[in-house]
Amino acid sequence: MIHSFNRRTLLKAGAAAGAAMALPDFLGSTARAQAAGLNVFSPLPPDPAPPGAAKFSEEAFAKWQADNGATVAYETLAWPQLHDRMATAFASGAAPWDITYNCGWVPEFESFLSPYADTLPKALVDDLPASSFATTTVGGKRYGTVFTLSLLTLFYNKELLEQAGFKEAPKTWDEMKACAKEMTRDGRFGFVLNYGDPAGIGGTASYWMVFLQQAGGKLYGEDGLPSFKSDEGVAALQMMVDLMPSTDPGSISYAGINDATNVLLAGRAGMMMNWPFMWNAANDPKQSQIVGKMTSAVLPAGPKGSASIDGTDAWTIVKSSKNQDKAQKLIEFYLDAEVQKRQVLDTGWLPIRLSVLGDPEVQAKAPNAAVVLEQAKHPYDSFVTADYNQVTVAIGTEVQQALQGSKTAAQAIADAHEAVTAIVKRRG
Amino acid sequence: MSFARLREGGPLRKTVILVGLALFTFWSAAPVLWLIISSLLEQKALIAQPPDLSPQNFTLENFSTVLAAAAALGRGIANSLIVSLFSTALALVLGAPAAYALARLPVPRANGIAFLILATQMLPGIAIAIPLFIVISKLGLIDNVLSLGVVYLSFNLPIVIWILRGFFLGIPSGIEKAAAVDGAGIFATFWYIVLPISLPPLSAAAVFAFVEAWNEFFFALILTRQQAQTVPLVIAQFAGQYQTVFGQMMAAAVISVAPVILLAVLFRNQIIRGFADGMMKG
Amino acid sequence: MISTFEQRRRRTGLFFVAPALIVLAAILFYPIVDSILLALQRVQLAGGAVTQEWAGFGNFERLFTDAVFWKAARNTAYFSVMEVVLVTLLSLGVALLLNHPFGRSGFFRILLIVPWALAPVANAVLWKWILNANYGVLNGMLKSLGVIGNNQVWLGTPLSALNFLLIVDVWKSVPFVALLMLAGLQRVPQSLYRAAYMDGAGPWRSFLHVTLPTMRGVIAIAIVLQTIWSLRVFDLVFVLTRGGPADATVLLNFLAYRVTFNFLDLGYGAAIANVIFALTFLLAAAYVWLLWPREPKGAR
Repeated sequence: MIHSFNRRTLLKAGAAAGAAMALPDFLGSTARAQAAGLNVFSPLPPDPAPPGAAKFSEEAFAKWQADNGATVAYETLAWPQLHDRMATAFASGAAPWDITYNCGWVPEFESFLSPYADTLPKALVDDLPASSFATTTVGGKRYGTVFTLSLLTLFYNKELLEQAGFKEAPKTWDEMKACAKEMTRDGRFGFVLNYGDPAGIGGTASYWMVFLQQAGGKLYGEDGLPSFKSDEGVAALQMMVDLMPSTDPGSISYAGINDATNVLLAGRAGMMMNWPFMWNAANDPKQSQIVGKMTSAVLPAGPKGSASIDGTDAWTIVKSSKNQDKAQKLIEFYLDAEVQKRQVLDTGWLPIRLSVLGDPEVQAKAPNAAVVLEQAKHPYDSFVTADYNQVTVAIGTEVQQALQGSKTAAQAIADAHEAVTAIVKRRG
Repeated sequence: MSFARLREGGPLRKTVILVGLALFTFWSAAPVLWLIISSLLEQKALIAQPPDLSPQNFTLENFSTVLAAAAALGRGIANSLIVSLFSTALALVLGAPAAYALARLPVPRANGIAFLILATQMLPGIAIAIPLFIVISKLGLIDNVLSLGVVYLSFNLPIVIWILRGFFLGIPSGIEKAAAVDGAGIFATFWYIVLPISLPPLSAAAVFAFVEAWNEFFFALILTRQQAQTVPLVIAQFAGQYQTVFGQMMAAAVISVAPVILLAVLFRNQIIRGFADGMMKG
Repeated sequence: MISTFEQRRRRTGLFFVAPALIVLAAILFYPIVDSILLALQRVQLAGGAVTQEWAGFGNFERLFTDAVFWKAARNTAYFSVMEVVLVTLLSLGVALLLNHPFGRSGFFRILLIVPWALAPVANAVLWKWILNANYGVLNGMLKSLGVIGNNQVWLGTPLSALNFLLIVDVWKSVPFVALLMLAGLQRVPQSLYRAAYMDGAGPWRSFLHVTLPTMRGVIAIAIVLQTIWSLRVFDLVFVLTRGGPADATVLLNFLAYRVTFNFLDLGYGAAIANVIFALTFLLAAAYVWLLWPREPKGAR
C-alpha cells in the first residue's frame, strides 16, 4: 500500500476522487499556503510547547521570523494524540511538517528524520547535558535535541512526612519503604503512581526501569538482546511489590499520571515520582490542596545509587522538509539561552541548557531545578528503541501482574524477558 | 374509554411504569448531572473525598476559560455543524430511496445488496484509516471539512439505509396498491405517500447520522490538521500528557452538547410523532 | 401491461439504489480491499524504512499462537454478548416506558438522547473521574450511603474493570437503540391492540402477540447494529483502562489499534482487524437469517 500507491491504482479504485474532487475547495488550501514557511508540529500547552504555541518569548519569536524571512505555522494537538497522527502521516509518506516534536519516538521514526543535531553549533552542544542526546541518537547519528530537562524525581508532602516522624526525604530503598509505611494511615497512602497503562515513557514498565537502574541493572546487553533476567531486574520489581501495601490501591487502575497526581495534590498520598512540571501544579491553589507543602528530592538510592528516566521532549526535523537549514535555525532559536530562560519562567518547563539551569533567577523561580540537575548526575536511561512501545507493553503487563500478586517478581521478570527477547528477535 | 384506560394500565402497572421512569431518569441524568456539576467546580474541590460541594467552590471560571479560547471551540462547532449537516442531509437523500427500493421494489438480490451495504461497516475504522488517509492526502483534501463529511457519509449511509429499510418493509402493501390504482407513479408514491408516513424512522435516522458525525473522533484526528478540527478534537485538548483540566473539559463538553440538545428540542415533535398519531390512525 | 409495470418498478429500484452504492464504493472500496491485502503482508515502519513483503497467511498463523490475541478474543466475546443482550433488553424496556402515556413527555425524550449526544471523549473522561478509586464520586456516594465501607478500585481487578467498561458502554448505547425501538413501537397500529383487547387479551398477551411480532424487524436491526458496534468498542478502553490491568480489558479492536498505531506493525494489525470483520460478518449474517421477518411472497 505504501509504495504501490500511485495515480493508476487510485483511478482504478474508482475513488473518492469523483465525490471528493467535485467539492468546492474552501478551507482546504491552508496547507499549501503555508508551504513557503515552516510547519511545526507541536503539543498543546500545558505540555511543553515552543514560543508562539505557548505564551512566552513571543516578541523574540516575531523578530526571529522577520529576521529570517520565515513564517512559522504551528499545527498543535493534545499530547496523547500526537503519536497517532505522526504515525499515520509517516506511514503514508505524507508528512507535511518541517519540524516535529518527539518523545522517545526517534528510533521508531528515524528513517523519516534528518540527523541534523550532528551539525549544531559547538557552543550550544557544550551547554547541553551529553546524556540528553541518548534518546535521540540512532546508529551514532543525532536526530533530535531535547529542549527541556525532564527527569523523574521524588515529590513528597512535607507535612505528611513530618507527621510520620521523618525529618527529610528518604534516601534509600529501605528508608522509602519505612517512610511509605508510616505515612499510610487515616485513609492516606504513603505512595501513589499510575500503574494502569503499561506502555511508553511514564507507563508501568518505565517506572520499573527507574528501579532497575537504581539496582544497577540494564535493559539490554551489549548484543542488543534483553539482559534483565537478573538479580537486579527481580530486585527492582520486588521493591515495587514491597511498596504496594503502602501504595494507593487505585494505582493499578490509574491510566494517566494525572490520575495519580490528583491524589497527591488532594493530600491523600505522601510521595510519588513525577516530572518537573508538577511543581507548578502543586502550588496552584485552584488545583491543589497542598500548596506550599510540596517538596522534591532526588529519587531514593537502590543498591547502586539513585537513577531516573528521561522524558525526552525533543525537536526533530523531518527528512522530507525542503527547509532543512531554516528548520535547524528555528530549533537553535528555541534553544537560545534567553528563550530557554523565558520557557521556565513563563511556562514552568525547565530549560535543558546547563547555563540557564544554573542561573540564580531560574533557581529562585523554579526551586526544583537544582534537584533535577542533581538527579541528572545519576543515570537516567529510558532504553528507547524502535520497538519501545511493544517492549514496554510486554514488560508493563508482567509488572502489573506482579503488583497484583498474581505472579512472583521472579516469575514476572522471567516471562517479560522471554517476551522481549521474542520481540527483539522478530525484528531481526 | 375502557381501552384508553387499558393502555394506561391498572394501579400495579402504573406503579411499575412510574418506578421504571424514575429509574430511567436517574440512570440517564445522574452522570450528566455530575458532568454539569464538575464543569462548575474548581479542580481542588473535585479531588476531595467526598467531592467538596460547598458553595464557595462553585465558579464559572471553567466556562470563561473555555470561552476565552473560543476561537478553537467556535471553529470546532462551526466545522462540526457543517460536517454533520452535510453528511446527514446526503445520507438521507441517498439513503431513503435506496432503502425504499431495497424494501419494496423488485431489485434483484435485494437482501444480498442490503447485507453488502452493511458489511462495509464491519471492518473496524482503525483498519481503513491509513489507506483512507493516503487517498485523501493524494487528493490534497486533508484538513478539509467536506472531505471529512464525505467520509462520515460513508459511515452513516449504510446505517441509515438499514434503519429505513426495516421500516419500509413494515408498510402494509395495500397503501402502494391503492396509490397505483389511483394512477400515482413510483416516484409519487414514494414522495407523497411513503415518506410522509415515515417521519419517525426518518428523524431517528437523521438524529443518528447527525450525532455520529458530531462526535466522531478517530477519523477527525487523522484527517484534519488545524482548520477543519471538529468539536471532539477541541474537547480532547483539555486532556494533556501530564494534566487533564477536568472542569474545563466538562465545560467544553456542556457547550458542545448544547447544539445537539437544541436540535433535539426543536425536532422533538418529529421524533415523537408516531405512526399511530400520524396519518395512519387505525 | 403488468410486465411493463414490473419492469418500470425494477428500473426505478435500480435507479434508487445506484447512487448510494456508487458513493459507498467510491469512498470505501479501496481502503477495504487494501486493508485485506495488508493483512497478507509484513509491513513495518520502525527501525528502518517502510518495508513491505508478502507474507501469505503468516500474520494469521501468528494470531493462533498469540496469547494476547486469544485473551482479547475471550474478552470481546464476553463483552459483545453481554452488551447486545443488555442493550436490547434495556432499550426495549425504555421504549415501552416512553411509549406509555406517562412517559410521553418531551422531557424524557430529550433525556434519552443526552448520554448518546455527549462527545465520547468527554464521556470517557467523565466516567474515568466518576469511577476513580480515590476521589471518584461513585465511591463517595456509595460510602455516604453506607453501601461500602472502603473505597473500591472499580477498574482494578480484571472482571470488575471489564464489567464497568460494559456498563458505561451500555449507558452510552441504550439511547439510540431505545429511540429506534420507540419509533418501532409507535408503528404498531392501535387497531391491533384494540382487537386484542376485544379478544380478551391482557397486557402481557397483547405484548407477546401484537407488540413483539410487529417489532421483530426493528429488534433484528437493533441486534445486528449493536453487534457491529460492540465489536468495535475502542475509545472507552483507550481512556478508562488502556487495556489494563494486565491486559484484562484488551478488546480486539483496541488490540488492532495498539498493534497498528503503537507498534506500527501494520500487517499484523490489519490481520486482527480482518478477524473482527469476519466475526462481525458471520454474526450479523446469522442474526439476519434467524431474526429477519420472513416476508410473505406477495409483499413486494
